Amino acid sequence: MRPLLSGFALLTTILSGPAAAHHSFAAEFLADETLTVEGTVKEVWFRNPHVRYYIEVTDDNGETVAWDVRTSSPTLLVRRGWTEDTIREGDRVRVEGFLGRDGRKLLSLISIELPDGTVLEHSY
Amino acid sequence: MAPFSSTVTDAVRSLLLTVLVASAAASADPALEGDWMLELTSDRAPIEGLLQIERNGDSWQAWVEGGPVPVSVEGDAVSLKIDTRDLRGFVFYLDLEGRLEGDALSGSYGIESETRVNASPGSWTAVRHHPRERPTEPRPVNMAGTWKPAPGRDFRKYSMDLTPAAAEWHAGYLMHYDQPNVRCVSPGITAMVAWGAYPFEILENEDRLTFIYEFDSEVRRIYLDDRDPPDYYPHSGMGFSTARWEGSNLVVETTHLSPNTRDFRGEPVSANARLEEVYSLSDDGQTLSAVITLHDPENYRRPPVRRRAWTRNPDTWIFPNECDPDSFFRQMHNEQLLDMYFERSRRRF
Repeated sequence: MRPLLSGFALLTTILSGPAAAHHSFAAEFLADETLTVEGTVKEVWFRNPHVRYYIEVTDDNGETVAWDVRTSSPTLLVRRGWTEDTIREGDRVRVEGFLGRDGRKLLSLISIELPDGTVLEHSY
Repeated sequence: MAPFSSTVTDAVRSLLLTVLVASAAASADPALEGDWMLELTSDRAPIEGLLQIERNGDSWQAWVEGGPVPVSVEGDAVSLKIDTRDLRGFVFYLDLEGRLEGDALSGSYGIESETRVNASPGSWTAVRHHPRERPTEPRPVNMAGTWKPAPGRDFRKYSMDLTPAAAEWHAGYLMHYDQPNVRCVSPGITAMVAWGAYPFEILENEDRLTFIYEFDSEVRRIYLDDRDPPDYYPHSGMGFSTARWEGSNLVVETTHLSPNTRDFRGEPVSANARLEEVYSLSDDGQTLSAVITLHDPENYRRPPVRRRAWTRNPDTWIFPNECDPDSFFRQMHNEQLLDMYFERSRRRF
């Protein structure tokens, strides 16, 4: 894991709009701790109840750590132009998210920077 | 890894179930007692809800939308701290400060939150609330069409006034593992009618309305005649619904619910609960509003109330909604929590 930023980064937004959870994210994520990691998308799970991206991140010791990055439901994302093809396996991405509770390698996506510099924001 | 419970939930529970803040009643204005319609105004859509203030001996108690809130009263000054949640389930507080002038309350409010939330500080007013007259003459209006959620209106009051039995049950609730939706099970109409970021469609027939929800692809038949369900009609998440027109308000009553949860916090809904939804249409026919009240004395000492609004949008598609719980179970498999999960099955709705 390589934390890149703490607090909230100022990022360009191309897609935004209110989004909602199917269930409570607060059960799994810390409201007051965010983290940014950079890694490679290994799997795209574009299904209900929530879209997930499994991302491999190389930590400071050179070891690979798998992160589970979650966002909202496919139907809400699709309405904003965010489809299954927007983020693909093999993409190098930088993700900012709320950190999972209890040290879990989970992020609730706040924003994701794609290889071409595009930034998608998951606003609430 | 041991199962966890939300520390936020614990904090709210300890704050609100044990504390209804008392103040020096001797110096307080008795005119504060009673029911008020509370409205919050900011640079976002307005929020409104029922505020109830009671005096009990030397102390004051308050509720918003049926849920307890700490209240402080000093002379004609009043402050309230309302717990709410954002669309993700993160809890935050609306801190209201104001005073009584004439027969109205007014003041300003701030936001207390550990994180960014979709809310702004602003001003508030409260005017006396009198139960609405319920016209008996039916004057049906056309609610058919596709409706998409509109912002505002709902306080999303987080904690409710639970009975001791419900509070005991809820104390053992594990928010993540026990939420129906995480395993692709419908949370039932009580939760879904109030959550939704999703559109729905109303179809009209002579003897019924059919509500088709994008959320979990649920379908609901609402009968407009006086029929009763057969004895063998099953209880379910969507229940059995009938409706009547009170003037131009559509009053929907739902029974035959299966036990479920009310909202993200996981407060229970019993099989004997009755859900009342009062739908009204704006004069231009473009906004549909609902006041949603859960009558469930087994679990709530005061009925929880939610408010919703939708705007008419014929261009909105109702998408299919298929759900795959694979990733939920995969995580528990990886964390060796499946045994814990299945050991809790009996108490899970």
